[in-house]
Amino acid sequence: MFFFRSKPWQEIEYWALDLETSGLDSRRDQILSVGMVPLRGGVIHWGDHYYSLVRPEAWDGLTGDAVRVHHILPEELRDAPLLTAVLLEIDMRLSGGASLVLHHAEFDLGFLRKAYTRLGRAWPRPSVVDTQVLVSRYEERQQRLSPYALPVRKSLSELVQLFNLAPYTSHHALGDALATAELFLALRARLELTSFRQVRTG
Amino acid sequence: MEPIEFLAQTPPFDLLDGERIRLVERSLEIAYVPRGEMILRRTDPQNDRLFLIRKGAVRLERDRRLVQMLEEGDLFGYPSLLSGTSPTVDVVAEEDSLLYRVPKTTFDRLMEVKPFGEYFLAELAGRIRATINGDQVALTGSLSTQTGSLVTRPAIFVRPDTPIVEAARVMTRERISSILVESEPLGILTDRDLRSRVIAEHGDAQAPVTTVMSQPVATVHARASLFEALVIMLENKIHHLPVRDDDGRISGVITDTDLLRHQLKSPLHMLQVLDRLADPAEFRNYADEMGAMVDVLFQGNLDVLEIGRIVASLNDAAAKRILRFVEQKLGPPPCPYAWIVFGSEGRMEQALLTDQDNALVHADEGEDATRYFSQLATEVVAGLEKLGIPRCPGGFMATRWSMPVSTWKRQFSNWIETPDSTALIEAANFFDFRRVHGSLDLGELDEIILAAGRHRLFLGRMAKNATEFSPPLGLFRRIREQESGVDLKKGGIIPIVAIGRMYALELGILGRGTVERLAEASASAGGLSTDGAEVLRESFRFLLHLRLREQLRARREGDRIDNSVKLDALASIERRHLKDAFVAIAEFQDSMALRYGTNFIS
Repeated sequence: MFFFRSKPWQEIEYWALDLETSGLDSRRDQILSVGMVPLRGGVIHWGDHYYSLVRPEAWDGLTGDAVRVHHILPEELRDAPLLTAVLLEIDMRLSGGASLVLHHAEFDLGFLRKAYTRLGRAWPRPSVVDTQVLVSRYEERQQRLSPYALPVRKSLSELVQLFNLAPYTSHHALGDALATAELFLALRARLELTSFRQVRTG
Repeated sequence: MEPIEFLAQTPPFDLLDGERIRLVERSLEIAYVPRGEMILRRTDPQNDRLFLIRKGAVRLERDRRLVQMLEEGDLFGYPSLLSGTSPTVDVVAEEDSLLYRVPKTTFDRLMEVKPFGEYFLAELAGRIRATINGDQVALTGSLSTQTGSLVTRPAIFVRPDTPIVEAARVMTRERISSILVESEPLGILTDRDLRSRVIAEHGDAQAPVTTVMSQPVATVHARASLFEALVIMLENKIHHLPVRDDDGRISGVITDTDLLRHQLKSPLHMLQVLDRLADPAEFRNYADEMGAMVDVLFQGNLDVLEIGRIVASLNDAAAKRILRFVEQKLGPPPCPYAWIVFGSEGRMEQALLTDQDNALVHADEGEDATRYFSQLATEVVAGLEKLGIPRCPGGFMATRWSMPVSTWKRQFSNWIETPDSTALIEAANFFDFRRVHGSLDLGELDEIILAAGRHRLFLGRMAKNATEFSPPLGLFRRIREQESGVDLKKGGIIPIVAIGRMYALELGILGRGTVERLAEASASAGGLSTDGAEVLRESFRFLLHLRLREQLRARREGDRIDNSVKLDALASIERRHLKDAFVAIAEFQDSMALRYGTNFIS
């Protein structure tokens, strides 16, 4: 019988990515900033991080709740590069076959896919590690070990605290991308995952 | 907080300018290490990263024994990074840890930034200053190496009429940060001079080097210890120090970075270990490390009296830490108190570990105080014993000697006024007391000792007691040797200490160290002659040196450590010195007997 042997997890290049957006609906809302942090050899290469604001195409709806969360003001975006340029930067990093590390992957993937489509680029279909899924696995295991323990909380900053990670500026695309990368490393170790097949969730 | 912000506020990265911090950031790696995982191994051929703990904690271990615990904001890996050798300790994650890693290529560029490099040196220097002040110590052995061993290439000279620009070219070509000028006296031109005196002031680069060089230049002898070299650098606030050989020729130049690299090859920061341990008494190999440290200091020709002060300071630091630890455990003391040490510890003349000699003085008399301090004394003495400092067989320890200051005063006066044989032994011990910890003022006890000089009977009996041990000289002043060898302590060290103490009591000298007492005695009228003081001091140093050498040999070879030396183990010149010392001591004892008329004292 033939078994496909998966590579050790750290032999893959990963990019932890986070987006700040003008709202929660990828069909209507826009990407306002992107943060990306690479992992190579199982270690975060912080020096190679990428961060950019994105100049929106439509200026309405840039106030209110979202701004209160990510603190990006419209005037900061006026000189920012357009989504086309930013997407090139993202694509450059993903096109070599790197995997994405995301927290609540569907949210960011929704925005990314739509952006690719709108700009007429092919979505590179990277493999994905969703830290939220890993958290659920961790939680299931904890529940088995101690059934009466309180469930693990889910917001990124709460998880950062729970796993005793470094508190970076949350709701900032770069800070959250780094936090996601660290969370991935912590969960990988806690769950004792060793192969890439074990860490990927999508 | 972003990585760059964390870096920018963590020493020594806080010393870097924005540009350098960004350099660090560009090469920064972040690793996650689960608990129990080994980060560095002593068996690794080398290490090429500097580690900064962002979250979590790591343990430094040697042979699976805890050497030090490091926490958030602490650095590790730099000793091996600087020396290019294997890590000096194993590093294991104590908790799940996030580590920031800086690769060697970046680190090397940061070391070019003076304040950054100096950070390590400054930390070291602070500890050495503290040593000199007798406060605390964490001197590591390698500082006693000879300075000459650090010289790797001959010094480069230019003639005095060389234009500045030419000198700068030579420096660049030779990749050196300073150049010597063959002027009379010797001159030196450094990178810093070029910056501050030529570039910053728009100086004329065609002018001769003599216009901008520094002169005269502090130098150090090739055989001087690195400790001395470091002191010279610190005192002159210089970073380049020419090394001269016996003929006065300059054999090379060492820099503070050289010193630093060398120093970090053996980071045996005992004090830091004491500070890190939750319970300082858990520093189980304290005695062992102390012995090893003394050995290296001795090998490096550090003066035996200096070694004694370092050992005493370290023991003081250990006692202080244990006291604070027990205080925390028992709650704050009910009244001010003082932890005192005496005997050789009081005089700071210890070498290898000796027994505990300690006592406790507290302000109040009440039962609460008595109970608290008796508990404190019990735990501290036990803690010191755990460190490997044995209990005093004579019982001169705080477990027995813990009293209110009023009782101590009465006791001190009693010893002087009723000097029976017990009183004399106790007075000789306790009158060398030195406060190690606590805020209680002991001036009243000093007053009593100062007044002892007026009590002729007491002085006479003390003097008689002081001649109880005498040099083992036989017929024709030949050294008499027992089967176990010659007892240097009873035959020479104790007699000299006693002579020093007699002068101190008679002349009202508050100094505790024997050499200090002898010096003060020779400075005061009616005291010791200058020659006499010098003979005693040199004899004392010689005896301590010989004893320590034998003890260290015994320690290395696993023999019993005692105070004896076999005559046939000595070189003939040493035997002659030993005899000279014994003869001198015997003469001083004779003259002391005469002076106090001890032959007439029963």
